[in-house]
Amino acid sequence: MSQARGLITLATLMIVGVQLAVFTQWRFAGAVVMLVWLWPVAVGLTGLTSLALFAGLLAGVLFDAQSATPFGLSALVGLAMAYFASRLGKEGVGDLDSAAFWVTPALAAVGGMLAPLLFVVSGVFALNFSLWRGSLVDSMLVNAVAFMILARPVTRFAFTLSSSAMKARR
Amino acid sequence: MASDRARRRLFLTGIVGTLLIITVYVTGGVVAGAKSVAHAVVYPFSWAADFVARPVGHVFAGIANYSDVEAQNQKLRYLLGQATQRENDNAVAAQQLRRLTQALHVPIAASLGTVVAQVTVISPTNFSATVTIDKGQNDGVMNGMPVVADGGLAGRIVATTPNSATVRLISDTGSVVGATFGTGATPVLISGEGLNNPLNVSSIPDTASLQVGNLMSTNGLQGGLFPPGIAVGRVTKLLINPGSSSYAVSLAPTANLNALAYVDVVLWEPST
Repeated sequence: MSQARGLITLATLMIVGVQLAVFTQWRFAGAVVMLVWLWPVAVGLTGLTSLALFAGLLAGVLFDAQSATPFGLSALVGLAMAYFASRLGKEGVGDLDSAAFWVTPALAAVGGMLAPLLFVVSGVFALNFSLWRGSLVDSMLVNAVAFMILARPVTRFAFTLSSSAMKARR
Repeated sequence: MASDRARRRLFLTGIVGTLLIITVYVTGGVVAGAKSVAHAVVYPFSWAADFVARPVGHVFAGIANYSDVEAQNQKLRYLLGQATQRENDNAVAAQQLRRLTQALHVPIAASLGTVVAQVTVISPTNFSATVTIDKGQNDGVMNGMPVVADGGLAGRIVATTPNSATVRLISDTGSVVGATFGTGATPVLISGEGLNNPLNVSSIPDTASLQVGNLMSTNGLQGGLFPPGIAVGRVTKLLINPGSSSYAVSLAPTANLNALAYVDVVLWEPST
């Protein structure tokens, strides 16, 4: 598992780097596409819960370090996305090869819709009650569409990584 | 293979751990160190991604926006000419103002020193309106200092490292600015409503003399977060709701907060 974790760590660092350098600059309807939340969903769909939770936590913490929002909130959302995606992944839902082609994008779109909402609701834990005044609806819609489009390539990347790590372990 | 129960336990442990981190953050615990370590870890990766992505992005942007860029360039040349002329006109007035403010011991923004900084990161998330600049403690930038751009208030410094600083923009939902307008008799509070939304102004009695297009500037009241006289925004909408005796005001920031490239950090610290 340590090799898999090493690969996921490296990939997560790359994902956070791309998030900050590319996705932060490209705003659609003023909203940022949160690749750091799609990543735990993609890893979760491989069915490897602990790896997905690790990816969600790491991506969230690293992203939170660059943001002025309460530290730990993105990590909390990442964890939740990872867990629920991995529950589905365990059941084989969202498997790129066996499920219908639209299942993974549809699941990701739901994730993209719910993640910003979860972030705003979690803001209550940080005693921040003003997050909803930003661009919540825009953010939910933009992320749902972007997650739907990016779901298959990102999930394919996660599947490739996890399967190569598992092969190496054997 | 881990059982369902073990997975659930792992998930709950993660959630509790994260809530603990948030609690430490909220109570003002030692998170700054962890943040700067995480920042240092991510930096090479974001730099590498930027190094690869930027030229590709520029190629596409260049193809798509060439005529716009050319037109913009011409307009900017014209504006630069106008600004140069205005600067010449204002030189004498500025000198007089400096003399007056020195005599009155009032820290008007125009008489304060500034540090020019380049914006390196624009708000990375949907839920905070912040930018990161390339000047920090080593250049004299400190927490609480006001930041101006395009002739208006952009925000204030909320975090610093030796070589960078984070600016919370006035459009951030957590930002509140004490301001005034006209003769300066009516103090108002201007709060942010998110990066793409107009600023919100606390209720103003309908007896006040206010019109669409009026400029609001920082009031610099004692103990305030900003020195007086920095333009904050212009009134874009003015309504009196039926049965109300106050204006509902919408304000457009003077600084173009969606396209910040360079900003000036005003070397002024709020009094404690």
